[in-house]
Amino acid sequence: MVEVNSMTPKVEGHTKMKKHVWKKKIVPYIFIAPSVILFSIFMLYPIGYSFVMSFQTSAGGEMTFNGLENYKRLFNDDIFLKALKNTFIILAVQVPMMLFLALILAVLLHSSLLKWKAMFRVSFFLPAVTSLVAYSIIFSIMLMNDGLMNQLLEWIGISSIPWLSHPFWAKVSLILAMTWRWVGYNMVIYLAALQNISEDLYEAASIDGASKVRQFFSITIPQLKPVILFTAILSTIGTLQLFDEPYTLTKGGPSDETLTIGMYLYQTGFRYFDFGYASTIAYVIVVLIAILSFIQFKVSGDER
Amino acid sequence: MFKRYWKWLVLIVASAVMLAACSGKQSSTDDKGEGSSEKIVLTAWAWNVNVGALNEAMKEFQKSNPNIELKVEDIGRLDVYDKLSTGLAAGGTGLPDIVLVEDDRIHGYVNAFPKGFVNLSEKGFDQYKDVFPTFKKDLTSVDGKFYAMPFDAGPTGMFYRTDLFEKAGVKAEDIETWDDFLAAAKKIKEATGAFAMPLDKFKDDPIFRMMLNQRGIYYFDQDGKIDLTNPKAVEAMEMLKKFDDAGLIKDVDGWNGVVSATVDGSVATVPFGAWYYGTIVDQAKDTNGKWGVFLLPAFEKGGNRAANLGGSSWMIPASSKHIDEAYKFLEFFSTTKDIQLMAMEKYGLFPSLASAYDSELFTSGVQFFGGQKIWELFANEMKDIPTAYYTNDYAVALDEAIKAQADVFNGKDPKKALEEAAKRLKDRTKREMNTY
Repeated sequence: MVEVNSMTPKVEGHTKMKKHVWKKKIVPYIFIAPSVILFSIFMLYPIGYSFVMSFQTSAGGEMTFNGLENYKRLFNDDIFLKALKNTFIILAVQVPMMLFLALILAVLLHSSLLKWKAMFRVSFFLPAVTSLVAYSIIFSIMLMNDGLMNQLLEWIGISSIPWLSHPFWAKVSLILAMTWRWVGYNMVIYLAALQNISEDLYEAASIDGASKVRQFFSITIPQLKPVILFTAILSTIGTLQLFDEPYTLTKGGPSDETLTIGMYLYQTGFRYFDFGYASTIAYVIVVLIAILSFIQFKVSGDER
Repeated sequence: MFKRYWKWLVLIVASAVMLAACSGKQSSTDDKGEGSSEKIVLTAWAWNVNVGALNEAMKEFQKSNPNIELKVEDIGRLDVYDKLSTGLAAGGTGLPDIVLVEDDRIHGYVNAFPKGFVNLSEKGFDQYKDVFPTFKKDLTSVDGKFYAMPFDAGPTGMFYRTDLFEKAGVKAEDIETWDDFLAAAKKIKEATGAFAMPLDKFKDDPIFRMMLNQRGIYYFDQDGKIDLTNPKAVEAMEMLKKFDDAGLIKDVDGWNGVVSATVDGSVATVPFGAWYYGTIVDQAKDTNGKWGVFLLPAFEKGGNRAANLGGSSWMIPASSKHIDEAYKFLEFFSTTKDIQLMAMEKYGLFPSLASAYDSELFTSGVQFFGGQKIWELFANEMKDIPTAYYTNDYAVALDEAIKAQADVFNGKDPKKALEEAAKRLKDRTKREMNTY
């Protein structure tokens, strides 16, 4: 705050400097304005408005407030509870299985003994970038009654399985498809994290006589803990919003056995036009994600 | 200092949001030109063959209305509904002047968005109420007021492979009831290995719906009460079960599955609406001359064999800036015999305009179908088609009926499955349930 030019009258210099400071303060905001404004229009506004809508119901084309009715209805809605149950079954089975598989694949592909590493990495990652349409068509063809899977089973002498039409097998099919699609993605994240584990640890362990398996459980997993937590939370969020696979493979059937919360949300909003109730479901998903993420932080004991 | 700018920022953001929220109704059509001398561009959303029919009709229309133009956006069927629903929920933003809607959805849309569409009766469409069959009139009007202009219909039939029937020594003329058909289908399976019908067993229920419609019932009755437990419905479901138990239903995946079963000859018949003609002719070119059509079998000798599946109509969103022009064009489209014949001849869209049936097209044989007069058969069927009561809860009812069908194919007793579905439907829609 020192005057630079002593020839300039005092008052003028003061305003000039004020202007300068003002500019300095406002410019950053102008720079971030486009993204903030876009974010507000396309994210904040819908988020806020759908929260309002979750307390509304449609009567004769007009939205009217009905207090907590939607939330009350939700917890007595058998179909929602079924969807919730299905989603949690898939979550409980698929996420741990997929993450464990991804971890093992990552460790194998990290091994210095393996050749053609790049090719393996790409081929495991490819499913994550495959077009959803192609992927779902191929899976539905493979899982058809006379599809490839059943032909293979019959060839080795096992009777064919109703992959997409039996309550139990339909869930298995979804889990298989999701695992195929996302295991490579998680594997790549683990591979990146594996680069950061110091070789010294393994060296010291092998001098102490620890087996490879022991090293995996006592060094690799503890060292990867923050990354495992990260992927677990991502996968949990993804599974709670699960929509693509049941929509393309089973349409939620047979008889709602593969209906997920995400699918029920879509049906309620876009098939039954009940936008208020659909918003309520959306907010319940948000709350569930928050609770589950919190639990995962606590269980893993990571306070950071 | 920071605090003050922060306030400004919030203000800017808030006003931007307000602006976005309040920018209000906007039609996607050009704004200019209320005067008759200026060009008016109507926009329309439609899918598939309907687009071509609409464009050609406009060419005719322009001969007497040179100032009107049409821009048809060819959007997938389900995408039209997604866009229409969101547009209506947003108070009519971004909607076209004309939109194609399938008949089973019309009541749902009008009930969910009563102010979303133009009341066509107020525009004078009532004068045409006698030129369409009753069931189509019921589908396009709500509380006696037209909200949609009837276009194509889907009188049902059993499209069958004459060569497979012959090989098994089965005559289509002898099939009068579903039991006859069951016996015939067993013979055909034995002789040729072909299934009786394709069906996406766990995801769709078109055959069940045809059976209900044929028997004069549907998911709901005339008063909007849930009617799934009607003994006739139970009987229909039991009939499907009989076919499945005998291994006569080919489980296929969606529309593509049905089409490929049609093409590869793994099914001997395909029960569908008249519009399936176009697909057969288009996709199964190698089977030229090997097809025939007979009416749906009845449930008892001499019973009704007429039903409808599918069909669509035109609606005008109330947010349109050119309602009068859109009305005028659609009136021309829907009630002009030559236009309907053009749509039929070129695009296989079966008209619901009764006066069209007198023309030569409907009385001549179709070469692809071995010279059979299939259009005459469908046209004669139209007057006997009972009205199906879809209501605004049709989408939920359809889902519940499909679940019931899935349960039946997974081993549940048909009566029990339908009762459970009816109860779920009652919970979801708060409608009354018929007891028998």
